[in-house]
Amino acid sequence: MKQKDEQKQDDVLFVGIDLGTSKSAISSSNGKQGWIESYVGWPKDFIAEQVVGKPVLFGAEALQHRLSLDLCRPLERGIIKEGIENSERAVNEIIRNLVDLAKPEPNQKIHAAVGVPADSLKVNKLAIRKAVAEYARALMVVSEPFAVAYGMNLLNNALIIDIGAGTTDYCIMHGTIPSEEDQKTILMAGDYIDEQLFNYLIEKYPNSKFNKNMVRQFKEKFSFVQGIDEEIRVELPVNGKPVMHDIKDEVRRACESIMPALVETIVEMIARFDPEFQIKIKNNIVLAGAGSLIRGIAEYLQGALKEYGTFKVSCVEDPLFAGAGGALKLAQDMPSKYWETL
Amino acid sequence: MISIFSRKNLPKIRQDILRGVYEENLIILGRGRPPLSRHKPFLLKKSLLFVAVCLVAFLMDGQYRGSSFSPPELTANMGTTPYLLPMASVSSEGKEVNTSEFNAFETRRNVPLSHMLGLKIRTIMIDPGHGGTDPGTLGKTGTMEKDIALDIAKRLKAHLVQSGWTHALLTREDDSFVPLQKRVALAGEAKADLFISIHLNYLPRKPINIIETYYFGPSDDKETLRLAEQENAGSEYGLSDFREIMEKLVKTMKLQESKEFAKSIQANLFLNSRKHKGNVQNYGVKRAPFVVLLGVDVPAVLAEVSCLSNEEEEQELNTETHRENIATYLAAGIFDYLNKGAFAHEAKR
Repeated sequence: MKQKDEQKQDDVLFVGIDLGTSKSAISSSNGKQGWIESYVGWPKDFIAEQVVGKPVLFGAEALQHRLSLDLCRPLERGIIKEGIENSERAVNEIIRNLVDLAKPEPNQKIHAAVGVPADSLKVNKLAIRKAVAEYARALMVVSEPFAVAYGMNLLNNALIIDIGAGTTDYCIMHGTIPSEEDQKTILMAGDYIDEQLFNYLIEKYPNSKFNKNMVRQFKEKFSFVQGIDEEIRVELPVNGKPVMHDIKDEVRRACESIMPALVETIVEMIARFDPEFQIKIKNNIVLAGAGSLIRGIAEYLQGALKEYGTFKVSCVEDPLFAGAGGALKLAQDMPSKYWETL
Repeated sequence: MISIFSRKNLPKIRQDILRGVYEENLIILGRGRPPLSRHKPFLLKKSLLFVAVCLVAFLMDGQYRGSSFSPPELTANMGTTPYLLPMASVSSEGKEVNTSEFNAFETRRNVPLSHMLGLKIRTIMIDPGHGGTDPGTLGKTGTMEKDIALDIAKRLKAHLVQSGWTHALLTREDDSFVPLQKRVALAGEAKADLFISIHLNYLPRKPINIIETYYFGPSDDKETLRLAEQENAGSEYGLSDFREIMEKLVKTMKLQESKEFAKSIQANLFLNSRKHKGNVQNYGVKRAPFVVLLGVDVPAVLAEVSCLSNEEEEQELNTETHRENIATYLAAGIFDYLNKGAFAHEAKR
C-alpha cells in the first residue's frame, strides 16, 4: 500500500493496544508484543517504598506486595473510573509500561490504536486518549470486539463476543463500522465468575483460608463448563495445615453462572436483524477475550442456543493478543491522511 | 477462522470502516465530521463560496442575535450518530432572566458553567414523579403516571449503572409518597450533581402526544403554569423558604446548566421518539416554576417524557419495550450533556 510505504519512510511505529480490566496487551509493527496485568500499585509510605524498592509496581508484582501498596485496578468494569485520580494515573502507568514493551526507537513516532469496551462513554474514551496521548503522536480509540473482528477479517455477518474480566462486549459486524445498536456490554464476565466461585468455596469450605486473588488463579487454571474427566483439587490451609480440596463442582457452577446472560444477549442482539441476516450471523459467532479460554464454552453455547436454531460458535486462537493484534492491523491499514489529524 | 465475507467487496468495506473509525474519533475529540479532501465540482465550490459570503454579510449586518454560528450538534447515541437540535419553540422558551450575571454567562454559552468552575458530575439523582397516594395523571384505561415514571426511572438508573455510573440514585424505589421537599432534601443529602425528574403529560383537550422538558424559571404561559400547579401539589414550602432558595439559585446560577441539560434531554427524547413514532410533537425546552426543580441547587430538569391523554401512547406505555426505549433516550440525553463537557474529566471539584 502506498500510504503504508510513506508511513514506513517516516519511521512510524504502529501499535495496537488492548486495555483490559485484568490484562492489557500491546502488539507493534516492529514485531514486539507483550502484556501486563492491569494492576498498578504505589508504595503506601516511605518505608513501603524501601521494602518494595520501586516507586510503582505492576501486575503480579503489585499483587504480591499488595499489603505495602495503594493498589489500583483502574479499568474495573472495563472503564476508567472517571475522576478518580489514581485510576487515571494508573492507566497512564499501564500505557507507559506497555509502550516500553514495544521497545520504540528513541524519538520514534508512535501511532496507536487502542481497544476499549464497547459501551465506554465518550468521557472515558477521552480519558483514555488523554492517558495515551503522552506516549503516542497520534491515536485512535476503537471498541475491543471491533478490533478483534477487524484483525480477523470478520467485517461482515459476524457476532464477536469479547469475554473479559470486567465486561463481556458484543459487536455485530455487518459491513460498516458498528453503531451503538450493534454493540452491547454486559457486566457478567470473569470478575463475576470469581465472585461466584469465592462464595461457593466459602459455603463449601467455611474453615479453609483463601482470598479472591487465589480464587481468580483457580479460575484461570481450571475453568470449564459442562463436563471434564479430570479432577480439580487445590491445596488450601485449614487451621494452618495444608489440606487438598475438591473444587470441580464449584468451578463448573461458577463458570456456568454467566452462561444464561451470554445466551440471552446473543439471542437479543441477533433478533434485531432481518431473518436472512440472522442466519448468517448465527453461523459466525466468535468468542474472544480470556473468557474464551473456558474449556467447552463454544460447545456449551451452541447447545444452549439449540432451541433458537443452528449456531456455529468458535473461539479465537490467541485471546490474549487478538484485540491488540486487530488494533495494530487497523492502525497499519489506516491511511496516513487520517492519522495526520488525530 | 473462515469469514463468509465476500472477498471482492473487502477493500471497499474496509475503506468505509476505516473512514468510519476516523470520523468517530473526530467526534470523540469534538471536531465533528469534516469532509476528507473529496473532490468537489467547481460549480459546487462556487455555490458554497457564494452561500458563505451571503451568510457572513447577513451576520455582519447585525441581524443575527445568537451566540453561535451553527446550531449545536447533539448525539443521541453517545457520540456515534449526530443529530441537529430540534427547533425549539422560541415562544415556549419564555423571557430570558434579566440578571446581569446570567446575561454575562449567556454571552459565553459555549463554555458551560461547570467547566468555568471546574466542576464534575459524580452523583445523578433520578426522581420518578408522584407515588403512593399521589397517582399523578391517569390514562383512559387506568394507567397511572406514578407507575410508569417509576419504571422508567429504574430503567434509566440501570442504564447509568451499566455505563459505570454507580452513583445513580432514585428519590423513591417503590410506590410510596415522597413529598417534594423530601425529594429535594434527598438530592442534597446525596450531594447530587445532576437532577432529573420524570413525569408524564396530560392534555385533556388535545388528542396529541407531546414531549417537553423544563428547567426552573418564571413563565407567563398559562398551560405551563397549570402544569406547574399540578406537579407542585405535594409541596409544603413557605414563602420565606421560596425567597431564600430563589436567592441561592441566583447566586449559584444553575440556570445556564439546567437549560443546557434540558436541551440535551429534549433533543434526545424527541428525535429518537420521532424515529419510532411519527406522531409525537416537540414542545421544546421551557421554563416553569416547578418546586422540585427550585429546591435542587444543581442542574435540574423535569422531563414530560410522554403523554398519557393520548390513547395510543397510553397503550404503548404499557409495553416494556416502549418504557425501555424512553429510558434509553433519557440516558442518551444525560450522556450527551455530560459529553459536552468533554474536558470535565480533567477538572477536579
